[in-house]
Amino acid sequence: MLRRILTAILITAILLPFLFFGVLSVGQAWFYPSILPQRFTLSNWQELLVGQSELQLSLLLSLLLGMGVAILATLAGFVISKEIARAKYKNRWLLLAYWPFVLSPVVLAILVQRFFLLTGMSGEVIGVLLGQFILAFPFAVIFFQSFWTYEILQMEQQSQTLGASAVYTLQQVLLPLAKPLLLICFFQTFLISWFEYGLTQFIGLGKIKTLTILVFKYVNEANIFHAALASLLLMLPPALLLWLNKKFVFRGI
Amino acid sequence: MLTIQNLHKAYQTHTVLDQVSLELPQGQVLAVLGRSGCGKTTLLKALAGLLTLDAGSINWAGESMDAVPSREREMVYLFQEPLLFPHLSVFENLAYGLRVRKEAEAQVQQKVVQMLQELELQEHAQKKPSHLSGGQRQRVAFGRAIIFLPRVLLLDEPFASLDAQSRASMQRLFLRLARKYNITALFVTHEVKEALLVGDRFAYMAAGKLQVYTSKDAFIADPQTGVRDELAFWSALEQQTTYQP
Repeated sequence: MLRRILTAILITAILLPFLFFGVLSVGQAWFYPSILPQRFTLSNWQELLVGQSELQLSLLLSLLLGMGVAILATLAGFVISKEIARAKYKNRWLLLAYWPFVLSPVVLAILVQRFFLLTGMSGEVIGVLLGQFILAFPFAVIFFQSFWTYEILQMEQQSQTLGASAVYTLQQVLLPLAKPLLLICFFQTFLISWFEYGLTQFIGLGKIKTLTILVFKYVNEANIFHAALASLLLMLPPALLLWLNKKFVFRGI
Repeated sequence: MLTIQNLHKAYQTHTVLDQVSLELPQGQVLAVLGRSGCGKTTLLKALAGLLTLDAGSINWAGESMDAVPSREREMVYLFQEPLLFPHLSVFENLAYGLRVRKEAEAQVQQKVVQMLQELELQEHAQKKPSHLSGGQRQRVAFGRAIIFLPRVLLLDEPFASLDAQSRASMQRLFLRLARKYNITALFVTHEVKEALLVGDRFAYMAAGKLQVYTSKDAFIADPQTGVRDELAFWSALEQQTTYQP
């Protein structure tokens, strides 16, 4: 019984924000002390689906940045993590990977700002992508350390002496073994990019309007209906990824 | 014939292999006895091409192996742990070396089925390694290594993690298949009995130096190998048991 109550509370806690923002996103004219908006309309959603609205562009931009950062960070993290696992001074390299998190992303952004200004990447999508990569890549490196154990490295050597090339070993041994971790890392780094605010704002100079940036903008403008729709969109991919994680990645674990 | 000349390997000031030389005719098993840390693993890994040497040469049938990468040497290194690929079935683990060599599917099927029979693992063909016992896993690892008939098999205390019964069974299996497939092997062990059982030729390794003996008697007679001490121990124990009232 207690378990059922706890499950119900958990499900309500997860679904309530979706319901709340869902109602707000179709609302119009909401005045105190009314509990619900005066009118309901799909115009905000039409704006998203039809034509080139700010919201639609920022959704596409966020997806593009998230996918780009996740693919790059996961692949680079997988490769570099292996080199670190085999390196003589493994712990020193790992310490370096913790550096962005020790500094905090905003302080890091201030430190690297000059580089982005000099290279002309400030206020550009590529600059923001690189900035987010600076955060996601060390995360992936640290994440994959749990994969590159002594046993996996020995297994790689075993495959070599059995006659397999590096590519064959990667395809037939390493990638199948790392598949669940690769997927989790992809999801996690996507979320790092998706929710990133400070560094994106600083390097993007306010010109690169990701969904997270847009939510803050609408809130500042007291545009609660657009803010609700943007928040709903912001919450959807992580929820979808969590569902996919549970359904496919953790299946059988 | 495997010919090794003056192999040398050092880590900073610590010498691990010191002028190691040997000759091993095809189809023979060299049992290398030695304590932990004497350089046995380094010797095997160097032969497999997994380590770079400071000096020395490795030849097979007159052909230099020095510049040949490990995947082309056809010298399979067998670790102490079976290291089976956990995502592949027993069948696919055995077939790995054949698939790497792009053998025809019919050949792969026929060779793997035959090897499963040799290893007495027919009913386990579709199982994953995690569902096998330690001894069964070691059998699969051994079968996976010899199925494509490599030039040399390098065994690094392969049965050390097994219980006494499985170990004896594996030793018998190794001897039977080594004879049947005419396997050339370096068998490293720290157990005197195992060395005497599996070897056609014998060597002792200590502090990076390898002493190869001309005969089994010479190997037993050398006090540093510890064979005589062990034989004396068992002999004394037998006498004690016999004369007990």
